[in-house]
Amino acid sequence: MSKVFVVNPLDTAIEVKGVSHSFEAAQGPRAQSGAELLALSTTDLEVRRGELLSLIGPSGCGKSTLLNMIGGLLLPSSGEVRVNGVKVTAPMPKTVSFVFQENALFPWNTILDNIVVALTFQNVPAKDRVELAHQALGAVGLTEFAHYYPDQLSGGMRQRAALARALSLKTDIILMDEPFAALDEQTRMVLGEDLSTLLNQTGKTIVLVTHSLGEAVFLSDRIAVISARPGRVLEVIEVNEPHPRDPQFVTSSKFSDLRNRLYALLHDEIRQTLSTQAMANKALKTLGGSPPHG
Amino acid sequence: MANRTQGFWQSKVAYQVAFVVLVLLAWFSSTEWLAVSPLLLPDPLGVLLRLVQLLRSLEWLEPLGVTAAEVVSAFALSSILGIALSFVLSRSAWVVKTFDPLLNGINAVPAILFFPLFALLFGLGEGSKIALGFTISFFPIVINTTAAFGRVESIHLKAATCMGASKWQMLRHVLFPSAIPMILSGLRMGLTLAFLSVLGGETIASFNGLGHQIAESSQAMDAELMYAWIVFVIAVSFTLNTALTMLERIGGRAA
Amino acid sequence: MSPVPFLAKAGHRVLVRLVFVASLLLLWECAARFWVDPMFLSPPSRVFGHLDVLLARPGVLEAYGELLAELLIAFVVSVALGLLLGLAVGLVKSTRERMMPIVLLLYGTPQITILPIVMLAAGVGFGSKVIFGITHGVFPVLLSVSSSLQKVRPIYHVSARAFGATPWQKFRYILLPCMLPSFFSSLRLSMIACLLGVLLAELFASTKGIGFFTRQFTDTFDSTSLFGLISVAVVLAITLNASLAWMQARWAKRQWT
Repeated sequence: MSKVFVVNPLDTAIEVKGVSHSFEAAQGPRAQSGAELLALSTTDLEVRRGELLSLIGPSGCGKSTLLNMIGGLLLPSSGEVRVNGVKVTAPMPKTVSFVFQENALFPWNTILDNIVVALTFQNVPAKDRVELAHQALGAVGLTEFAHYYPDQLSGGMRQRAALARALSLKTDIILMDEPFAALDEQTRMVLGEDLSTLLNQTGKTIVLVTHSLGEAVFLSDRIAVISARPGRVLEVIEVNEPHPRDPQFVTSSKFSDLRNRLYALLHDEIRQTLSTQAMANKALKTLGGSPPHG
Repeated sequence: MANRTQGFWQSKVAYQVAFVVLVLLAWFSSTEWLAVSPLLLPDPLGVLLRLVQLLRSLEWLEPLGVTAAEVVSAFALSSILGIALSFVLSRSAWVVKTFDPLLNGINAVPAILFFPLFALLFGLGEGSKIALGFTISFFPIVINTTAAFGRVESIHLKAATCMGASKWQMLRHVLFPSAIPMILSGLRMGLTLAFLSVLGGETIASFNGLGHQIAESSQAMDAELMYAWIVFVIAVSFTLNTALTMLERIGGRAA
Repeated sequence: MSPVPFLAKAGHRVLVRLVFVASLLLLWECAARFWVDPMFLSPPSRVFGHLDVLLARPGVLEAYGELLAELLIAFVVSVALGLLLGLAVGLVKSTRERMMPIVLLLYGTPQITILPIVMLAAGVGFGSKVIFGITHGVFPVLLSVSSSLQKVRPIYHVSARAFGATPWQKFRYILLPCMLPSFFSSLRLSMIACLLGVLLAELFASTKGIGFFTRQFTDTFDSTSLFGLISVAVVLAITLNASLAWMQARWAKRQWT
């Protein structure tokens, strides 16, 4: 099955211009009031409509921060983000939906009700909600489990349900923050293949934050490589491979080359992050704080 | 380090101090400008003078001593017996499962109900208060300590066994160290309960002690004296609490 | 492991408990009959045999009725008040930062010291006992509601924002389900606290009600009636606790945090 449409490099869904972010360090080694922790240094990025762009980089490099700014959950300290030409100042639930890493499904609802509640938040008319929820579950193959509670399902199924929730909102753009990080590798492989097929059918714009090199190469149209904190875009790599991606793609030399390229770019950044992180953790522990998340 | 802890102290204690100041202001203004009976709400300055007189004359020494002795006796009994019993109970999971509901059921009954019984059996002297203090603090200590002994991570026991630890070494190096934090918090609760119940018993029926002073001055319609004693007891309680919190903090850092 | 395989089953554990309680009663019986002066300790056989006389005594049944009434009113008010205050403290960050230190300060003050003041203000009757019950029973609910609201996982707050939930929607679909389990647990604790408060007031004010009778029986060394009086109250307390525990098991389910 070939791609439903071809990505037009000139059709920009998301524009990130001169964006940076500093957190006020309320706790930590630099604990003087007003001291700032630069999470992301000035960054420019464009996300084309209909593509899947990955953000990859070492822990704490600011990729999740960038994702949150794109989605309106955080405001940039400088620069601006534009989605469909409109400046982002707050979450836009009708345009952008999220899939989080942690189990963000509500444990007190069945997965069907979880989707119904999300539709309620979006103010979808009450009469349509259940129907749309069922459709979304069908799209990810979870129809028989509609009345199960999240803790009754496996990790992979939960993330499928989380994805169904995002899809049900029928937004053009989906932002995913390490959605498969908590899953074992085999489940990740299978879900990755399913995601590729699904996205090919829907033509949505996806920005995906990931730690996994293989996942980035397998799923993405383009990969933005972020440096160690404070992060900036080192390079944007093109993966010229049609969707839906064949599982055999993973064994091809093209895949290996891309993966090696990524590794070469990231290797030093990762090493640097590991040693600074250990020192920071030690300093924080003495003060009774906890390490911030990347 | 100074910054973060200082900031914490500033916020929490500041609100508490502000609250106390507000209460004092309300007290002062209601006695000055509202027609409140001085039997119910005496003039705060009068109470203050009475309190100073009380402190200076050392009248507080004997009642405090009596109360303290009762609390210490009750707590010593309940903590030693409680920990010993918990240890024995916790050796068998079956025993714990069987008696746990019974223990929790007893906790549902306010043991103050038994105070008249203790008064009958031991008279109105120290004995009945010690018995009450013991009864009220004993069961929570047992429940907490049994849970503490039961909660040792099986992975730690496994590791120790693999390394060839004897039963005694297991107790000393794995079981007790891991149970101690929870035991200590149970003991803290026990001491607080012993203090509160002794005060309660003294207020209801007693010859002496701090609670008795409050009750007696209330019956004598001496409002200023009663309030003076109440302030004194609240101060004692506050000191006890603060001391326990500091001990806990030191203990926590040492652990 | 259980000493004997037979005893491992849950139903058989109940048997062991019953046997245990029965042997305690037996111990009580023997101690009262053979070892201790009957003035101080009355055997269960006599105590329970005497119950009908006790309850027929003028004023006793009324005393229990009043106790129950005071307790129930105090409980309902405590729960309502605790819920309202808990919501106020738990939901609004500024309220929480200002009110929580004060709540904890009040919670740490020995309430028995102000009992005489309450009695002076509200008299020795019904009202003061209800008030004293409320001051005790409000805390478990307040603390549990505010604490569970505070402990809502950050990811749920983020999800609410990301999906564009209004404050009411957030409360109804996220905060409320998070709060309910520990609210139901706190009901039982609140009931026990109310009972404690009411009993303290009853025992202190010994001109009427349960306190009157305990004092009378103590003064006249009527151990049989005293034991009987207390036993009925104990059974009452255990029954109330058990029913709330049963309700809790049905509705409290689990913590969502």
